[in-house]
Amino acid sequence: MLEIKNLHVDVDGKEILKGLNLNIGPGEVHAIMGPNGAGKSTLAYAICGKEGYEITKGSVTFKGKDFLELEANERAGEGVFLGFQYPVEIPGVSNVNFLRAALNSIRKYRGEDEIAAVEFLKLIRAKAAELKMDPEMLKRAVNVGFSGGEKKRNEMIQMAMLDPIFSVLDETDSGLDIDALRIVADGINRMRGDSRSILVITHYQRLLDYVVPDFVHVLSDGKIVKSGDKSLAIRLEKDGYASVGIDESAA
Amino acid sequence: MTLKNYFDSENYKTNFELTRATLPGQDVTWLSALREKSISKFAQMGLPGPKVEEWKYSNLNVLNSTSYETTNENCDSDEQTDKLLDQANIENINGSKVVFVDGYYSDKLSNIRSHNGVSLISLRELLKTNPGNAEKFFKTTPDENSLRNLNVAFMTDGFVLDIDDNVKLAEPIQVVHISTKSSDTKALRQNNYIRIGARASTQIIESFIGPDHINSWSHNVSKVVVEEKASLEVYQFQLEGDETIHMNECVVETATDAHFRHYSLNVGGKLSRTEVKPTLSGRHGQVELRGAFLGRNGNSHDVFTHMKHMVPQCNSDQIYRGVLDRGGKSAFQGKVLVAKDAQLTNADQSNKNLLLDRNAEANSKPELLIYADDVKCSHGATVGELDQEALFYMKSRGLETSAAKALMVEAFVAEVYQEIELGPVKEKYLSVARQWLEGKD
Repeated sequence: MLEIKNLHVDVDGKEILKGLNLNIGPGEVHAIMGPNGAGKSTLAYAICGKEGYEITKGSVTFKGKDFLELEANERAGEGVFLGFQYPVEIPGVSNVNFLRAALNSIRKYRGEDEIAAVEFLKLIRAKAAELKMDPEMLKRAVNVGFSGGEKKRNEMIQMAMLDPIFSVLDETDSGLDIDALRIVADGINRMRGDSRSILVITHYQRLLDYVVPDFVHVLSDGKIVKSGDKSLAIRLEKDGYASVGIDESAA
Repeated sequence: MTLKNYFDSENYKTNFELTRATLPGQDVTWLSALREKSISKFAQMGLPGPKVEEWKYSNLNVLNSTSYETTNENCDSDEQTDKLLDQANIENINGSKVVFVDGYYSDKLSNIRSHNGVSLISLRELLKTNPGNAEKFFKTTPDENSLRNLNVAFMTDGFVLDIDDNVKLAEPIQVVHISTKSSDTKALRQNNYIRIGARASTQIIESFIGPDHINSWSHNVSKVVVEEKASLEVYQFQLEGDETIHMNECVVETATDAHFRHYSLNVGGKLSRTEVKPTLSGRHGQVELRGAFLGRNGNSHDVFTHMKHMVPQCNSDQIYRGVLDRGGKSAFQGKVLVAKDAQLTNADQSNKNLLLDRNAEANSKPELLIYADDVKCSHGATVGELDQEALFYMKSRGLETSAAKALMVEAFVAEVYQEIELGPVKEKYLSVARQWLEGKD
């Protein structure tokens, strides 16, 4: 589904990713772990097309398409979703209006008709109930005044509504208590399926107890230095990054 | 403070000599005398130049190359006026409608409904039928404001609304000022008077509209009195053409327990100037001013407010938002005076501006003069750009850049109008703002 070859990314003239390779097939859940400053968020932004993340070498291919040619919104139209580490507040724009505009943009990109208002409201109410989210929150401005947990739950409802085939979740577990973590993990697991893939970026193994990955990769200094199955995550948690030969203090 | 004459004010004096015989009420003694005094005073003062603090951001040099003679009465409504009326129209508002075309009341386009205790009449009609009654609305001595003098010297019409005590009008009154192609190089000057009697209440929706490419000068002066426990809400829409000079001054006085609310939206005009000057002269008076100005491609919007707290225990609150795109310019000047005895005043003011392009300009100048010591006054002024993080966030959800920007700007503007209870008016404000945003390439 997603194929990243020899990816080099500069941010503010500094090389952050230094030749990263990653293949994610349909139905697979991959986890990327790594010390602070390894380039985890940079990878997420580069996949999703954030401005200022300059691709100097390499390729990103999604379902056979050259992804680097596409704008961020077009990548969303292709079925990619980015769960933010720090979801952004948008004053004055209600969650409902935002989601309707987003959903209709994606539909337009795919040459589909706009969703009927009644159908949209039914859908959003159903998704809110699944994620145990207070429907009143949907009327509030996007993330404004939300607690850390509420923001992450809001990411989950956006993901559920936009129904991506590939989700990148950038430290979605950070700053969550155990109850919120369970809800978020549940939201991610709902996205699993034979034709869908997920890339979970995390600093800790904790989330991976709930979202069990098929593959675990260790990112260090802009490259994937080790790959394995879920046991790799457990080893990292137990013995630290030094056990796989990474000097965390140097990162 | 010295007033600098920009150009030969004799121009206007010559104009005056040529047109005075055709101006309404030319046979009314007090009025001819007042017009005469006003033009002389104006000729002495001239137009305010950039050295006048209140006008430092509005360059009246743009008035220099045009003579701006008085408009002629344009009795025929045609396709053009119908189209403009249609654009200014607000759905589901059914009260009295007063329409002015090129500065003259149009009986044909207006629809004044009679209502007990409400007198609504055009100034010209009043000067014909009861000139003595109109006299009380005007000062007999010339004004210290040079533009007001110019307005009085040349005014062709206006509306006079007088609401008796205890009368609560359920339906808002609509006033539409249309300028047509015939007003090119001419000035439309109207003078309006509004009095809301004690415990009475009403809402007025006032629109200013004209076609593009017409260099006319639309100049309105309104005097408003809100008596004890009365309430007035004014909703203004400035939708003038792109070459028009728009000036609108609203001088208000509120009595004890009175409530005045003023909303405005400026989207048109080469140079627009909106002045709102409330004087809170009775205790527990409450004034709210809300407005937005959206400018690009040579629009210059200037909002000037002067809030005078003369007595204790009054509240005033101002919220203004500016959105400036390529080639747009704005200035907000908010003056607040709290007189020595006006203890326990609450006066708030906020002006935020959004620049959508590097080639755009927003000026903001709060000015607080506080002579009382037990007051709560606040002011805030910002100029900023759209949040890039939020833009990427929205794009990552599938929104195109233009749609993401529009959603954010709309939200920024909508804040000004969120408290409006009159649904159709609120919707009109938002739809005009939306149209402006969509006009962006």
